[in-house]
Amino acid sequence: MAIDTGFLVNIGFYVSIAIIFAILALGFNLQWGYTGLFNAGIAGFFLIGAYVAAIAITAPAPRVIIGGVTVYPGHLGGFQLPLVVGALLAMVASGTAAALVALPTVRLRADYLAIATLAFAEIVRIFAINLESVTGGTIGIIGIPRPIAFDPPNPFLTMVTIVGLGAAILLAVFLALQFISESPWGRVLRAIREDEEATMALGKNAFRFKLQAFALGGALMGLAGALFAVTLLYLEPSVSFAPSVTFSVWVMVIVGGWGSHRGAIVGAFLIYGLEWLSVQLKDFAPAVLKDSIFYIRLMLIGVLLILLVVYRPEGILPEKKRILR
Amino acid sequence: MLERLYSTRLRRQLVLAFVVAVIAVALFGILSVLFGVTILQYALAGFVVSSIVIVAAIGLTLLYGIRGFANFAYGDLMTLGAYIALFVALNLSVSVVWAALVAFGTLAVIGVFLEVLIFSRLEGRGPVPPIVASVGLALIIQNGIRAVATTQQWNYPVPAIQEIPIVAGLGIHPIRGIATLAAGMSFMLSAHILLKYTNLGKAMRATADNLELAKATGIDTKRVTYAAWAVSCSFASTAGVLLGLGTVVNPTMGFQVLLLTFAAVIVGGIGSPYGAMMGGLVIGLSQEMSVPLLLWLGQPDVIGLEHATAYKVAIPFMIMIAVLLVRPWGIAGRPPAFVRRVFILETAARALRSRSLPSRQEEGGGG
Amino acid sequence: MTGGYILAVRQVQKAFGGIQAVDRCSLTVFPKSVTGLIGPNGAGKSTLFNVVAGLYRPDGGEIWFDGTRIDGLPPYEIVRLGLTKTWQIPHELKNLTVLENLVVAAKENSGERLFNLLVRPRAVKRDERRWRSRAREVLALTQLEGLANEHAKTLSGGQKKLLELARALMSDPVLVLLDEPVAGVNPTLVASLMDLIDKLRHEGLTFFLIEHDMNVVMNRCDRVIVMHQGRKIADGAPASVKADPAVIESYLGG
Repeated sequence: MAIDTGFLVNIGFYVSIAIIFAILALGFNLQWGYTGLFNAGIAGFFLIGAYVAAIAITAPAPRVIIGGVTVYPGHLGGFQLPLVVGALLAMVASGTAAALVALPTVRLRADYLAIATLAFAEIVRIFAINLESVTGGTIGIIGIPRPIAFDPPNPFLTMVTIVGLGAAILLAVFLALQFISESPWGRVLRAIREDEEATMALGKNAFRFKLQAFALGGALMGLAGALFAVTLLYLEPSVSFAPSVTFSVWVMVIVGGWGSHRGAIVGAFLIYGLEWLSVQLKDFAPAVLKDSIFYIRLMLIGVLLILLVVYRPEGILPEKKRILR
Repeated sequence: MLERLYSTRLRRQLVLAFVVAVIAVALFGILSVLFGVTILQYALAGFVVSSIVIVAAIGLTLLYGIRGFANFAYGDLMTLGAYIALFVALNLSVSVVWAALVAFGTLAVIGVFLEVLIFSRLEGRGPVPPIVASVGLALIIQNGIRAVATTQQWNYPVPAIQEIPIVAGLGIHPIRGIATLAAGMSFMLSAHILLKYTNLGKAMRATADNLELAKATGIDTKRVTYAAWAVSCSFASTAGVLLGLGTVVNPTMGFQVLLLTFAAVIVGGIGSPYGAMMGGLVIGLSQEMSVPLLLWLGQPDVIGLEHATAYKVAIPFMIMIAVLLVRPWGIAGRPPAFVRRVFILETAARALRSRSLPSRQEEGGGG
Repeated sequence: MTGGYILAVRQVQKAFGGIQAVDRCSLTVFPKSVTGLIGPNGAGKSTLFNVVAGLYRPDGGEIWFDGTRIDGLPPYEIVRLGLTKTWQIPHELKNLTVLENLVVAAKENSGERLFNLLVRPRAVKRDERRWRSRAREVLALTQLEGLANEHAKTLSGGQKKLLELARALMSDPVLVLLDEPVAGVNPTLVASLMDLIDKLRHEGLTFFLIEHDMNVVMNRCDRVIVMHQGRKIADGAPASVKADPAVIESYLGG
């Protein structure tokens, strides 16, 4: 009586990717749900974290030329640092990038900020695709080491470690965010979101708070990137870090209810769950819809976004009252 | 009184544009003497790109100025226009020009529908809800097109040009080059005529400038809003067709140009169609004319930048970010009341200022 | 008039898109006073307050507060120096509770610095406790205790005005600019509020208030300054200002 480990690995994959999205959503929630900074460049900070972590932990990857053709351009790396260091570096890199991006942009209106961050993410992606000797170009980085290498290789146990690692990180991030956002610092963020002018008139340096919130959120996105690198075991720049990733995270936070950490996590599992389900059910769909099912799902997400924004902007889990003792 | 305000400001802008044009021509002359005529080839490519971006930017900036939001679905509206024109041209065997006109009209109607159905409900909720709704719309349009027309690339049924004719040492493609430039300029001209000489156009400019004042002076802002949506979407459709003519027709074509269009709108100043023209020029030219510079950087003895020319699309974005840093309201915009200096400058300025006690302040009489 | 000033406005200018809202305005407020600022609508009173508080940058002129030049400083610096301002139209923090609205207004809350959250948790707790109890005190003074844990958006117009005043008192100010502090508040409460202001004045605070309620202005202010079309046109004891022909004409002529 064998448990279908293949199926469990599949579920494990769903959970681990959902966790990654949840961390992205938590980071975005800090920036937007708490502080009102509408970041449209989530994919860019995600990418930076993922690549920095991958470069830090992967074995050396030289250029591969076969028959005069560069089959693989190679990438920066070979440091083979432990995963913890890679993840920390990823957070520092993304957090610093976020701080630098925030410096000129957080004082801008929400739509300017969105456009500027979207442009930033695209610039990052262009560099990732073209700076071949560093990032591996369009092929990307392959052969990222697993957190624990089982010998002989055991997909089931590997998935268990990934899910366990992800869950632990998610829990830690959730608790840390709860602590920070319910603190006086978090209260000022919410005040800024409610009315920035009034908060400044109350004596708060809104710029400093916004900068910190944006940088922290960016660092979380970098952490998600590091986790992504060791889950997928390879990175490529065109699809995994496209603007659609940013928009998916928006949907997750809007569905879950902005301003609520739990809501961000619920939204992530829900929306990614729909995506994963549609892939699983693809084989059962009638032939005529088979290929279109991806696109129909995305269209439905679009409809959901519009309906939510018009009729229920608070999302599923609206912000709760804070009763101070 | 409104007339007078606009003609002085317009006059100033036209003089500025003329001066810029003279400088530009002089620059090009110098450049071609220094680097050879090939630099003009890049400039020509830049003008072609600019034409498309300008048409798109005029539409986007009108809607931005009047409705007050950044339409993230604009790129996909361009794609939609391109596909409708493609459908008509292929299935009804008409020329691309007629197909483009059909797309123009269809998208104008769609634009009004969007306002009625979705965006009118989001009025007064700030800049973010319409952006989110437009992203939802973008998802619907882009994936709807994928579902219906698949992701393959299409081409418009235009005669294939085997050899690019050379005129005065420059290769000019009759469709990608001349037709695009001509279309771009005629749309610029019609936008200019619409805005300056028709009552609707003047009403649109007034509304974009100051919504409350426009309402107070009796302008029917509802009608102006519908008109803005119609013009915006139809211009998007034209830009989409031009883009499809110049490259291929595929589902992501518009989105790729979306950021360039935003860049042009921001550089030119949100809400200003003339700013959009100038911004589009800056964006298109900077993208194409950065190629020689990038090629130089790509040489092994300089930096050895791989795929150097691929970075040309990043140049307009960097210009846009620089504008946001220094002058967020763009070339033709006006700074808002709350403008404070850039944080760093502000700290430095404060550090340098003296803080001595004043001499005892006496009341200087009454009143 | 001898003695020090607490607020000196000198030839301040502020224009908005062609309209000169504040036009070479000069005035002085003396410490421990309750000074009124009146004038017809559009005289530039609220604009002047916003400029003094640092929310707008003046196009010209100087503003001195208690020996320090403050024009051009950002609002948070000015609050730190001891000058706060309330809003004419209440800017309550809608989705925060009334108590949170007040605690946010506290000046030195170590929990608002990320560094302290991680490294000095005891100080954070101490400050929080201190400010929460002070917030409750201020709430009691403005008779809002019952609403402490309600979202600020649920308050009535008059209650929001009281919240504005309460918030201004939280930051331990030296000078408080009140923009129509009692508009929409019921008359008994107005009386007790003005009593409170009077009491605080004797404890060392200075109040500079814009008001249209002539009862308050005439009976509660030591001195009244009148603004018209962006500048000061009269300044003195309430009775003399009331009889000033220039003042009467400005209200009639509009």
